[in-house]
Formats: sequence, structure tokens, C-alpha cells
Amino acid sequence: MHDATVPLLELVDITRSFPGVVALDGVSLSLAAGEVHAVVGENGAGKSTLINIIAGLLAPDAGQMLFCGRGVSWANPVEARRQGIVTVHQEAELFPTLSVAENMALEQGLPTGAAGWVRWRQIYDKASRAVALLGEPLDIHESAARLGVGQRHMTQIAAAVLERARVLVLDEPTSALTASETDWLFAQIERLKSAGVGIIYISHRQEEIFRLADRITVLRDGRRVWSGLRKSIDRGQLVQYMVGRERADGLTYGLARTPPSRLASRLVVECVTAADGRFVDVSLTARAGEIVGVYGLVGSGRSEFARAIFGLERLDSGTVKVDGHARTIANPAQAVSAGLAYLPEDRLRQGVFRGLSVRANCVLSALRLLTKSPLTSVSRERSATLEQIGALDIKCRDIQQPIEQLSGGNQQKVVLARWLLTRPSVLILDEPTRGVDVGAKAEIHRILRRLADDGTAVVMISSDLPEVMEHSDRIVVFRAGRVAGQFIPAETTPETITVAALPTAPASDLPAPAWASRRGFRPVVRSEMALAAALAAMFILLGLSTDSFFTVGNLLGLVSSAAVLTILSLGAAFIILAGAIDISLGSQLALSAAVTGIVLKLPYPAAATIPLGILAGLAVGTTLGLANATLSIAGRIHPIVVTLGTMTIYRGLLISITGGDTITDLPRAFTEWSSVQRFGINASVVLGALAAMAAYLGLSHFRWGRHVLALGSSPTAARLVGISKARTWLLAFGAGGLLASLAGVLELSQTGAMQSGMGTAYELQAIAAAVIGGVSISGGRGSVLGVCLGALLLSSIYNAVVLWQISGHHYALITGVLLLAAVLTDRAWRKLEG
Amino acid sequence: MTSIVLRRAAPYLLPCTLLAAAAALVASQVTRPAAVLDMWRPWGEIGALATVMTAIVLTGGIDLSVGSMIALSSVSFGLIWRQGWPVSIAAAATLGVGLACGTVNAALIALGVAPLVATLATMALFAGLAMALSHGERIAGLPDSFTAWGQDSWFGVPHQLLLFLAVWFLAWIVVHHTRFGRYVFAIGENRLAAEFAAVPVRRVESMLYVANGVLAALVALVYTARGGAAVPNAGMGIELQTIACVVVGGTRVTGGSGGLGRTLLGVAIMSLLDIGLQFVSRKIYVPWSDVPWQLNANARLLLVGSLVIGLAIWNERFSSARGS
Repeated sequence: MHDATVPLLELVDITRSFPGVVALDGVSLSLAAGEVHAVVGENGAGKSTLINIIAGLLAPDAGQMLFCGRGVSWANPVEARRQGIVTVHQEAELFPTLSVAENMALEQGLPTGAAGWVRWRQIYDKASRAVALLGEPLDIHESAARLGVGQRHMTQIAAAVLERARVLVLDEPTSALTASETDWLFAQIERLKSAGVGIIYISHRQEEIFRLADRITVLRDGRRVWSGLRKSIDRGQLVQYMVGRERADGLTYGLARTPPSRLASRLVVECVTAADGRFVDVSLTARAGEIVGVYGLVGSGRSEFARAIFGLERLDSGTVKVDGHARTIANPAQAVSAGLAYLPEDRLRQGVFRGLSVRANCVLSALRLLTKSPLTSVSRERSATLEQIGALDIKCRDIQQPIEQLSGGNQQKVVLARWLLTRPSVLILDEPTRGVDVGAKAEIHRILRRLADDGTAVVMISSDLPEVMEHSDRIVVFRAGRVAGQFIPAETTPETITVAALPTAPASDLPAPAWASRRGFRPVVRSEMALAAALAAMFILLGLSTDSFFTVGNLLGLVSSAAVLTILSLGAAFIILAGAIDISLGSQLALSAAVTGIVLKLPYPAAATIPLGILAGLAVGTTLGLANATLSIAGRIHPIVVTLGTMTIYRGLLISITGGDTITDLPRAFTEWSSVQRFGINASVVLGALAAMAAYLGLSHFRWGRHVLALGSSPTAARLVGISKARTWLLAFGAGGLLASLAGVLELSQTGAMQSGMGTAYELQAIAAAVIGGVSISGGRGSVLGVCLGALLLSSIYNAVVLWQISGHHYALITGVLLLAAVLTDRAWRKLEG
Repeated sequence: MTSIVLRRAAPYLLPCTLLAAAAALVASQVTRPAAVLDMWRPWGEIGALATVMTAIVLTGGIDLSVGSMIALSSVSFGLIWRQGWPVSIAAAATLGVGLACGTVNAALIALGVAPLVATLATMALFAGLAMALSHGERIAGLPDSFTAWGQDSWFGVPHQLLLFLAVWFLAWIVVHHTRFGRYVFAIGENRLAAEFAAVPVRRVESMLYVANGVLAALVALVYTARGGAAVPNAGMGIELQTIACVVVGGTRVTGGSGGLGRTLLGVAIMSLLDIGLQFVSRKIYVPWSDVPWQLNANARLLLVGSLVIGLAIWNERFSSARGS
């Protein structure tokens, strides 16, 4: 199998650096067809950077990548994927509001026919086959947000298998899988191998590596330290290469110090259980002067435990004592006053305030301690910060410098300083050295030891086994939400700890994820049914209370006046679905109608001016929408600011071209067409229905429409699968403008007049109709049917106000109450979805 | 050294140039200063609203319901007064109405509803309540002792401007010199990290929306006094002018960057431009020509809109002054 003359994938001297860290330094790697090549190394060794370069997410600074002997450089992940390089990342980026099947399809680019017509049958077929391959009863129409982490990986792997990948990159694929799922995965890997696929396999688990790999490459601190056949290395050697020969040889774990039992207990946790069941019955003690290492795999409950102790997640039962006092900790502020501190695991998302200064970052949690009064004292903040900079040897130019300009290690030290300033009795650190370069790593370890010597109880959570072995006095191992054992480093071996941490019978051990029990209608369907019911109730109520409601004239009037709002709401929906907002739609509507009106008044025959006028109006509306998108993208400003400006500008343009005059006396043929009746319905209704149909087709059956939803669902995931934000926003805003102008032309025809206040505040009604119709304001979720129902409901309420002869002023109140109800229902559903 | 000075000054170059131009325009047309100060009354109200709005935008939030809260407060005042209660009681009750409105907003947002959606809904709700309670009618005939609140001056300075300056100063202290203010910036910069850093995120946000409700009621009193009647469509569209002042000043809509000094600049630019353009729209006799020059309403709208977008782009490019 290894006699292929040309390697499938070859990396030559790849180098890549980030500010402050050289992540990869001249790394080479070669993968043959039908081979499993394991890449191993500690955290921060450069594995993820390597994967991201292979997957096309990062470009190397130097070095070459050869695919089938040809030099390649990926412009984006999609290109790599098209060539047959499929990567399954550890943290799956999903489109949470889209279905499982569509998520799978988007990874490879939606299969389309002519003009971007989406082949749904093909998507569902493929997804069904993938699910069949998994052998799990999984609903491919379910929204992806409901998948568990393991299931996300499984579906991605299954899709990759079906895709006939030539190179498959698996990043810690088993970290979230149960034992039976892992067996399935290994069987698939064997199958792919024999089919000639090259597999790059990243894992911390030595058992897996020695079972699967043909070849192993060891990375350490961004360099390749060893590479060769699996047969030529044993486990002990592998660990030595990972950890470093020099360090491994002279290493004595856990230096002799005062027996911990004689020291005062600072943190005593007894039998705590998480409210969501992610850890059960956990007890842990940390004493003054000791570093307690907490080791466990991702998902073993170790970080969840720390967050719950710190008041960020809810505890169900158990007691927490700090310095001998029992404490109820419901939020982080209470934890801090109890004497706890927690350094979070994800520095960028949970730790640093990137744009704020080093000083602001440093003192934030200790403001209450620095001054008793609510006023801040800059001089005390300054001296406290400087003191920490000295103590922790933080390298920065100036304490007013934004923290984002510091290296990863120094940022981490600032976050650590933030907690030291609160003078904690117990310091809990979650992955304190993740993504930190070697030098800073050693310094952080020295600082922790010094803190312990000064009497702080230090709890260090880490998935880096050598770190835990080397720097803790006692090790607590988490497995599947429970404490699996306690060890003294000097009296144990890394193998013992690893075995203790590995789930034995994971399928039964792991708490069942909360989503598993929830089934039923998909939320969109439910929201539409609720709307339809509300609408029906409204109609029945109106029919019973008034004689004139179910007359043809009234119903027709209701539906044709609803047509304008429906069309405009569809326009608003396009933009909201794409994750943006446009508050200039009312002005767009008016300006387009004005242009149409002006063309209609030209001294030419009506047969020429009417089509010309309508076309001109639609063209203007589309242009205005495109202008909004262009300004927002090119100027890099939020759409709400852009459209706040353009709503005024468009209104100004309107007054410029009309001179502020009302346009009346339009050709009769124009004012009458919207009310021409055929078979009991009029042209307004037909136009509204056509617009809805077109919007439905566009959003559901064309690739660009799906991209609009995908972008709104998750901008990050959209970037990963190569959906251009600029192009999608242009499309969405363009469609919004087109629909707004269509609504404008229709209203012009219905009313026969255009004044400069036309369409004022329409955008809010349109947004309200969309939200009532179930469109999520953060984008990515909603349906055309829902929007139409929402618009119809708002219009029928207006009709009711007229029929019941209530003063028209209640219309606004009812709209408000409805909107509030819609918002709260949406909230409740989303909470249910998790 | 020069380059540092230039870099520090860059964000302010365009805004200050515009400010100077607008100020020069106003100054060249003024014959009676007191009359000009009177033209500032509506801008004093908007400016006062822009202060708390700045803090809200700094947390990454927004409050679209200020205009509707003003309408509801104005109507509430009129109705209570018409029942025969003294002005002072009616005014106190109106502040209570503002407090209640703000609490509704705060509760919705604490539930996890996005501020844009929550306040869009309450915007419709409060406006609807104002309409329904007043039956769309204005309540006129308010006593002179009350209308004086919105029409009088103190040592030549209109009450609205005094209100603005007082509220601005208070907000400046709170946002830039208190613990609470530090929390505001932290939340806007990284909400999740703020929670992890033991910042009481929900409490800070709730307090801001409640404060905005009370402020809206206060402005509603002055607004009602200025107009001499309680009107159900009071404050319509004022939320957008308020947000425009904040954005033009240079506070980022996504939060974390900006401040009260910038909003002062924003209010100055927007108000001077508006007042200046009002002069221009009358008729200006320029020294180099005999024909008077005049600007139309449309040109004013075009200018103001372009200014909002142009300055937003400018601020984004030069947003070096961040946080504290």
C-alpha cells in the first residue's frame, strides 16, 4: 500500500506565524493514498494551524503544498473541498436554523441545475444515505441546532465518506463520540483506507493512534520533532517526543513538599450535581498552598464543574465551602466576594476585551476593591496595573495600549492579573496555557507555584497531561461527569491517568443530552399554524360581529389593501433573513412611486408611459436597495446606520424631483388596473400573490436564496463554505428595494396620488409583519408563508377597527400588543430549542 | 511626535471642520442671539435623550421606543392634569409612567429578547397606548405655570439647554468616572467575557433602560410645556434623530467604543447644521452677489442623510480612541 510513487498530499517546509507566536516552523509532512497519518503533539504544538492550512482556512507564510504532485494554494476552504480534501473540524461550525440535510449539502456547495435551481431531491437523497450509513434514527429535516456534538461530527464524517474524498482530515474525531460510535468511525476509516483515501488523523488518544495509524508525525512547539512508521516507535518514545526528550528524562513529577493534608482547606466542594446533569455528585477539596490538577477529556464535566462553582451555571444540589464558610453562589459577583476566581478556558471569547486598554482589562473585576465609592480612581487603577505588570512580567508598551496588540501569552497574563487583583483564596484556572507560547507557558507555571506558596489554593484544569503531571501536587480525574479518581503525580504514571480518564462504557455512562427527548413539529410550522389560527379566529369574530365583513366588497378591499403591506414585508424579510436590517424601505417605496408618477405625467401616449413608468420605478427601487448594501459593505458600517442616513437622503431626493408637490391626475388606465376584477379577484391580489410566489421560489429553490438564509443563520459558517457576504447582501437589499418599489407602484395605482409623505413609517409596519410572521430578527429563520400571514393579520386588524367603528387609534395599540406577543413567543420557542 | 499628534487628531478633523462651517454659517446670519438660542430648544431635548442613548449604544444595545415613551408620558400628563390634579402631582406621576415604560423594556431585554426587537415592539405598544388613551386628541389649555417649564429661560439660557447640559454632565460622570461606566464599556466590548469577569451584566443593562424611560418622561414634560399641549404623536421620529446624534458623534453602534464627549460633538454638529440650514432656507444675501441664495428642504434632507453616513464611515476608519 505504501509503494505509491507520488504522495497524495505533501507539505514542504510550511511556516506560519501569528502575532507573538510562530505556530508552524518549517514543517513537512507527506501523505500517501490509502494511508492513515497520525499527527500528534501537545496543545499549542501547531496541529490546528496545520489542519487549517491543509483545509484552505489559512495561507502559509512560506513553504509549499503539493496535491497529487502539483503545487497548490487554496484561495478558500471551498476550493480545497472541490479538489477532494475534506476536513472535519473538532468544533463544527453549523447553520443552526437550517436543516441537517442542508447543512451537509452546504459544506460541499448546494447541488444546482440551470440558473442555480437547487436540487432538493439530491440533497435529501444524499443526506438519507449518510444517515443510513450512520445507522442512527436521525431526522434530516430537523434543524441542525438540535444535534448533539457527537452527532454533528458523525453526520459530517458520513457526508465526507459519501463525497468520495481523496484526503480526509479528522481533528480529534472521537472526543465527543461514544464507544459504539467510535467503533463505527474506525470501521469507516478502514473502508476508506482500502478505497485509497489518505487520512490525516489528529488525536490525543494513544490507543487510537497505535491502532489506526500507519505513519506518525510528532509536532512540538511548531516544529516537526519526529516522523516515521508506527512500527518504529513505542508509546514511551512517543510521549518523550511529544513532551521533549530533555524534559522527559530528568523529570520528577510532583516535587516533595508539605503533605497537603496538614494544610488548611480553602475550597471544599461536596457532592455537587449540575442542574443540566452534565456532572453528578462531584466532591473536590483544595488546600492552601497546593496546586490541584484537574484532568479530563473535553465533555467530561471538568469545565462545567468550574463554571458552576463560579456561579455561571446552575447547581442542583451539593454544598460549597470557601475558607470554612458555606456559600450559596448564584452569580460570579457572589463567587468573587466569597473569594473565588475563575480564569476561563477560551481567552478570546471569555477572557479579553480586545479593544479596551491593558489597564481597563486588568482592573475590571477588582473595581469594587480598589475604591469603596462608586467613582473610579485612575491613579489607584494605574498603580494596581503597574504592580501586576511587574509581578507577572507582562510585556506591553503602555498600560493604555489596547490589549489586542499584546501577544497571546501576555494577554493571558493580564486576565490572570485581573483575578489576582481580587485577592482570591481559591484560584480556578481552565486551560491556563492554551494557545500560549513556550516561554510564557513556563512563566505562568512559575507564577502559579508562587501563588500557591503564598497560601492560595490553585485548581488547574487542563487537557494537557504533561502539564498536569509536572505542575500539580494532586490530580483529580474527571470522567463522564464524575470524579474517576485522585492521584499523587509522584506515585503514578501518565498511562494510569489516561486510563482513568477514558470512558469505559461511555454510551450508558454519558448523561443523555437534553435535546434527545424533544420531538414534534418544527418551530416554523408551529408558528405558521398559530398565525393561521389567529387569523381564522379574527375572521370568525369579524364575521359574527358584523354583517358586512363577509361581503365580497369588504373581503376584496381587505386583501387588496393587504397586498401593499405584504409585498413590502417580503422585502423587509429578505433583508432580515440575510442578517441585516433596512429602515429606509418606506422612503424607497415613496421615491420609486414618485419616479413612476413623473414618467406617467410625461406628454406621451399612456401605452408608452405606463410600462415605462412601472419599469423606471422598479429600477429605481432596486438601485436604492443596492446602494444601501454597497454603502454598508464598502464603508464597513452597520446597515442600521446606513439606512438611517439613506431614509433621509431618499426622502430628500423625492422632494427634489417632485418639488414637494403632490402628483395627481394620473392616466386612468394606470389607476384602474390595480382594481380590474376577473373571476372575483383583482389585480392587486394577483400581484401580491405573484410577489409571494416569486419570493418563495427565490428563497426556497434558488441557490442565492438559500445563501441569504445561510448567511443570516451563521456568518462564520457562511465564510467557511465560501458564501460571499457582499454578494449575498447585494442580492437581499436589491430584492428588498425591488419589492419596496413594487409596493410603491401598487399603492400609487390604488390611491391615484403621490405626496411627499407617502410611505412614512411603513418600514416599521413591514418589519413588524415579518416578525409577527415568525422571521427571526437575527436572521436565518422565517418563511414566506409566515410573512404573508403576518401582513394579512395586521391588515385584518385594521379592517376590524374600521368595521367595529372603534376609533382608529386602537390600531396602533393592537399592533403593539401583537408584536409583543410575537416577540415573546419567538423567545419561548427558541428557549425550547436550546 | 507630529505623527502621533496627527493620528490622535485625525478622528476629529472632519467632524470639527463641519462643526466650524455650520457655526460660521449660523454666526454670519445672527442678528438677535436670543432668537437663535430659542431655535435650540428642540435640540436640547434631543441632546438630553442622546446622553443615556449613548450609554445604551455603548453596551451594544439600542432603544427605539424613546419617541413613543415621550408620547405616552405627554398624554399621561395631560390626562392626569385634566382630572384636576395639580401640575406637580401630574408631573411626578408622568415620571412614574416613564419608569414603568423603561421597566417593561428592561424586563424584555433581561428575558433575552434582542434590544432592537424588544424596543421595536414597545415602540408600537407605547405609541398605541398613547393614541388609545387620548383618542387621538390633543389636550390643550395647560396652565402658564407649567408651559413656562418649556418656554422660559434662565439667565438667557433656554430650559431645554440647561436640561441637556445637566443630564449630559451627570451621564459623563457615570459613564466615564464610575464603576458602572466601566461595566458599560466592558459589556459592549465583549458581553460574554463581561459575565465571566463578574460584571453584573443584566443589572447594568436593566438600569440603563429604566433610566432611559425616566429621562424620556422628563423630556416629555419639557416638550409638552414647550408646545403648550399634550399630544399623542409627541416625539415621533425623535429616536432616529437621537441615534443619529450618537452615531455622528462617533460612538460605534455595535458597542464598546465612543463616549459622552463624542455625543456632545454629535449634538453640536447636528443642531448647528439644522439651525444653519434653517437660515439658509430662508434667504441669504452673500457679499459677492446681489442675488439671494436659497437652499430647499430637499437639500437639507440630502445633507443631513449624507452627513450621518459620511461621518459614520469616517469614524469607523479612524476609531482609534476606544474605551477608557
